[in-house]
Amino acid sequence: MAKPRDKRARLASYLMYGVCIACAAIIVGTLVLIVGYLLVIGLHSLNWSFFVNLPRSDPPGMRNSIEGSIILVFLASIAGIPVGMLAGVYLSEYEVDSLLATPVRFVCDVLAGVPSIVVGILGYELLVVPAGTYSGWAGAMALAFIMIPIVSRTTEEMLRLVPHSYREASIALGATKARTIVNVVVPSATGSLVTGAMLAVARVAGETAPLLFTAVGSDFVVHNPGKPFPSLTLRIYELSNQASPAARAQAWSGILVLIALILLVNLGVRYFTRQRRLN
Amino acid sequence: MTATSQAPLEAVDRRGSGGADLLFRLAATGAALTILAMLATLLLVLLIAALPSIKRFGPGFLISSEWRPNSLPVLKLDAQGNAIIDPQTGMSVVDHYRPPAFGAGASLFGTAATSALALVLAVPLSMGSALFLARIAPLWLFAPVSFLIEFLAAIPSIAYGLWGMFVLGPWMGGPARWVRLFWSFFIPAGIESRIGALAIHVPALRWICTTTIGGKTVLVPPTGRDIFVAGIILGIMIIPIITAISRDVLRAVPRAQMEGTIALGATWWQSCREMLFYSRSALFGAILLGLARAAGETMAVLMVMGNTAAVAKSPFMAGTTLSATLAGEFPEAATNDLQRGALMEVALILLVMSLIFNIVARYLVVGKSARTAAAH
Repeated sequence: MAKPRDKRARLASYLMYGVCIACAAIIVGTLVLIVGYLLVIGLHSLNWSFFVNLPRSDPPGMRNSIEGSIILVFLASIAGIPVGMLAGVYLSEYEVDSLLATPVRFVCDVLAGVPSIVVGILGYELLVVPAGTYSGWAGAMALAFIMIPIVSRTTEEMLRLVPHSYREASIALGATKARTIVNVVVPSATGSLVTGAMLAVARVAGETAPLLFTAVGSDFVVHNPGKPFPSLTLRIYELSNQASPAARAQAWSGILVLIALILLVNLGVRYFTRQRRLN
Repeated sequence: MTATSQAPLEAVDRRGSGGADLLFRLAATGAALTILAMLATLLLVLLIAALPSIKRFGPGFLISSEWRPNSLPVLKLDAQGNAIIDPQTGMSVVDHYRPPAFGAGASLFGTAATSALALVLAVPLSMGSALFLARIAPLWLFAPVSFLIEFLAAIPSIAYGLWGMFVLGPWMGGPARWVRLFWSFFIPAGIESRIGALAIHVPALRWICTTTIGGKTVLVPPTGRDIFVAGIILGIMIIPIITAISRDVLRAVPRAQMEGTIALGATWWQSCREMLFYSRSALFGAILLGLARAAGETMAVLMVMGNTAAVAKSPFMAGTTLSATLAGEFPEAATNDLQRGALMEVALILLVMSLIFNIVARYLVVGKSARTAAAH
């Protein structure tokens, strides 16, 4: 026969079991509601003119902002991904526990947590003030600043997963260290490296704060990164301050495009990682 | 024979690519040094830009909640406290000008208040969900829920901000709605008009829910943009982060540890408590990472907080945070050097704060979970 104390403990256990299930149900429910709302209202407001028209045409669209975001993220990737990957290679292949690697790894983690608005302000001070104008370059560099630590840490983690015997085999065949890395280590982790880079791209594609004082936004089609540059997120923010229902519908459509992009990347990542596991 | 003839070729080949080898090594080292330089630049640039403000306001900057970009005229008053009118010009007489002054007090308060609200909301829910994922969820449920949580952690803050601005904020409707929601359990429908009065008669509620407008005590009018809404939005934003890291931390607890507790006769919840206790420092790190995200968040807060540089006594009033102050004031500061300096000091405070949170969290989580970098 169970003592009352045991009985109480068992009751508490059942209770907490239920509470844990309820917690998960609440957060999944809330988050599904939010995303569902964003998707439904976004689809409702989305139309073709959103993709082909300019902000000042009728009906208004975001063609220039979508193009601007693509160019900004592309420029940021060109600058950020190689530096981040090289740093990751350094951390994983050259120095694992040296005097330099430990602080670099540490700084990477710390930089990944720096509020993005601070990065925007750095871009303003270093690139906008000397140039005397807001520019796409400044925006792209601010985004690259955010990408580098993310890419570097994921690259290091992914390269660590490559079996050591691969490297030994390559060195034993007479390959140099650089050849081993370029021909053996990196190719055997290509899938996950691409995944890591895509996650970083998705992350900066949704950033607004670093662009507020660097790219600043524009209502026109701009292809010269030396000028104030349009961006999807900046345009959404701008529209959120306007009262008209049309502006609001545009903002929801913009959010839908962003979320669709991030969902695609996440699904892609899942597909790739599952494939790797199967192999 | 072939072997001997190949040996020199091989040597030549190695010498040939030795340059490339060195070059690659230098490039990798350079990239690693770039990362160190990035943090150094960040700290140095902000410090130099903040110097005018640091020199002018000193440590009082952290406490003062004054935010006066332009000097403000103070009128000359007579004995009754009325403004003296110059009979010749017909205008009030200016006694003196209050110089521009800046302080981060209101922003720090707003950051602390919203982050605290966010943690109160997010921590219990995240811990419960992490336990659900680690101890209850069958595999067919674990994978989709995990995917959903990771996807939600990746949704940009402007999406949450827009939702908070147009959906959550208007829905919240100020204290009246919450008082009504709470008291409607006890009070039959139909006397809702008295509920405002009820709130005014309960001291703690009165303090939180009311404000003085024109000498009269009234319920804080709902604006849809206040500290409460911002706290809830931040809470929703950090739930996926804290849950994802805590889930990994809990799954890393050695199986034998848990089997041991069950073998000793512990109930399910007792063994869960053991699990939480075992990984307490890493869980604390996960919460700190969530806090760091909440305290540094800009867009969502900027869109739902009302942006008023004042220390509000009620969570139903507008406020501002460090990052919202930066985003909101920076465009106006281009011509005002002192204001720009003050904003740079705000940025510096924000940076140092996030560095501290992240450094502590890293020490607590790293080694127990490898996902810290992915959490941001």
